[in-house]
Amino acid sequence: MKVRIIQFSPVLGDIEANFEYHNLKIKEAVNHEIDLIVFPELSLSGYQLKDIIYDISKERIDRVLVGLMELSKNIDIVAGLPFESSPGIIYNSAIFFSGGEIIHNHKKVQLPNFGMFEEEMIFKAGENFRSFRIGNLNAGILICREILFPVNAYLYFLQNTDIIIAVSNSPHRGMAEDGFTSHKLWERLGEVYSINYHQNFIFCNRTGFEDGIGFGGGSFFAAPGKGIVNMGKYYDEQVIDITINEDDKRRSMISSNYLRDEKPDIILKELNRIIHG
Amino acid sequence: MAEINFKITTDIIVKFISDSVRKNGFNNGILGVSGGIDSALVLDLTVKALGKDNTFALLMPYRTSSDDSLSDGKLICDKLGVNYEIIDITPSIDPYFDKYPTKNKTLIGNKCARERMSVLYDFSERKKALVVGTSNKTEILIGYSTLFGDSAAAFLPIGDLYKTEVIELAKYLGIPDPIIRKKPSADLWMDQTDEGEIGFKYETLDKILNDMVDRRYTEKEMVDSGIDREDIKKIKKMITGTQFKRTMPPITKIHNRTVGLDFRYPRDWNK
Repeated sequence: MKVRIIQFSPVLGDIEANFEYHNLKIKEAVNHEIDLIVFPELSLSGYQLKDIIYDISKERIDRVLVGLMELSKNIDIVAGLPFESSPGIIYNSAIFFSGGEIIHNHKKVQLPNFGMFEEEMIFKAGENFRSFRIGNLNAGILICREILFPVNAYLYFLQNTDIIIAVSNSPHRGMAEDGFTSHKLWERLGEVYSINYHQNFIFCNRTGFEDGIGFGGGSFFAAPGKGIVNMGKYYDEQVIDITINEDDKRRSMISSNYLRDEKPDIILKELNRIIHG
Repeated sequence: MAEINFKITTDIIVKFISDSVRKNGFNNGILGVSGGIDSALVLDLTVKALGKDNTFALLMPYRTSSDDSLSDGKLICDKLGVNYEIIDITPSIDPYFDKYPTKNKTLIGNKCARERMSVLYDFSERKKALVVGTSNKTEILIGYSTLFGDSAAAFLPIGDLYKTEVIELAKYLGIPDPIIRKKPSADLWMDQTDEGEIGFKYETLDKILNDMVDRRYTEKEMVDSGIDREDIKKIKKMITGTQFKRTMPPITKIHNRTVGLDFRYPRDWNK
């Protein structure tokens, strides 16, 4: 499976301009015979929406959704946008489009709400980590902060996913002698999920600035049992093509089978004891 | 203080300047060059971001300004090949104080800083160039600036770098030695130095600010590490006492949606 990661900087609040960019990149990817194209978190809206979110009407979003559904007749797409499920109830969604339809809408569960983040002010939290099919493969989506809770990836791992598509709007921060410490957050977990959870782990992060906050890029692909095998540039826009080898997961599991040796019943029993006493 | 990565810091600031200017529909940047290290560094970074032909400098001496300020300002502009204009602000300042005399140096200093701001914004329109600010993190945090004077700008490229980091980054980028070596001064009056006026060495001040702000150390942890409790108190007071310089003026709430409270839009709205 050929996957294209689009590391770019959306226009903050201009859904239509961002859709035009998606349209262009999707058509290019179709010409290049790509199977799946992945855009970052909130790729159609930008991140620091504040009150802009209430100006983005459901009609405008619906038009974009219909446009992406149409484009998905020729290629599978993951894109992010504020999704208004009913009037005033808005989720931070990453949606998988395929065959002219919305196949899966993952609604972000862990909404960061501290320091420069204020997602809980505008979004309702999602409640599920459900896998879905991409061709022969089983996939799950994680959005930004969700990646940082290993138990979320674990839930996909137990659903025997082959791919985790992790989309992000991660601001770079915490400068040290060897660069921003924030990059390591994602790369460390990409290594863990690819090796310990046997996942094809795709990390797609945005670039650019919003009100001084810079987004770090550094998208990557980590293959089962191998860790990071394709690393994108930090800070700059980039198109990154990767290939998922369907045999990698089996090889990784034969080498050291963490899924077979997993004991979810014991985890559940212990969780019940911890939570309910 | 922990070292920062100068190459990445430079790269990010250059991208930020370029992004800020272009997304606001400009191609050019303009800044006041004082002959000091902050504006020399920002000039260098702006040239890296926009090119020398899209960067303009204004040198705005007052009659009491030191000769070094002008010569060092010219030195950095010439080194970078930037077009500059020298505008003596004395004729704009002195008639006012002839009419309203004062011996208060702060009043004269503030008036000069605001006059420079006024000239910068006038030239911003003339040159179709966005005003690039030169405030650093140390002075922003302790409020060592003139409100609506030197703090006025469209964006602040080095606003998250402490003064000691500014000096190190300036060395890394090859800012001329005379600018790096001289004592930092707002040059608002003769023999003024930042450290003399603030009452702290920048090294001490930055260490305390970094511990307090970025590392979130408690007062006890800082005292245990050898920092003077009185110094911590003085610096805390400087920060809290100047919060008004770091925020928009408050608006008393009447209607349902009040600007800044519940009319909340990013500055980069639709950009």
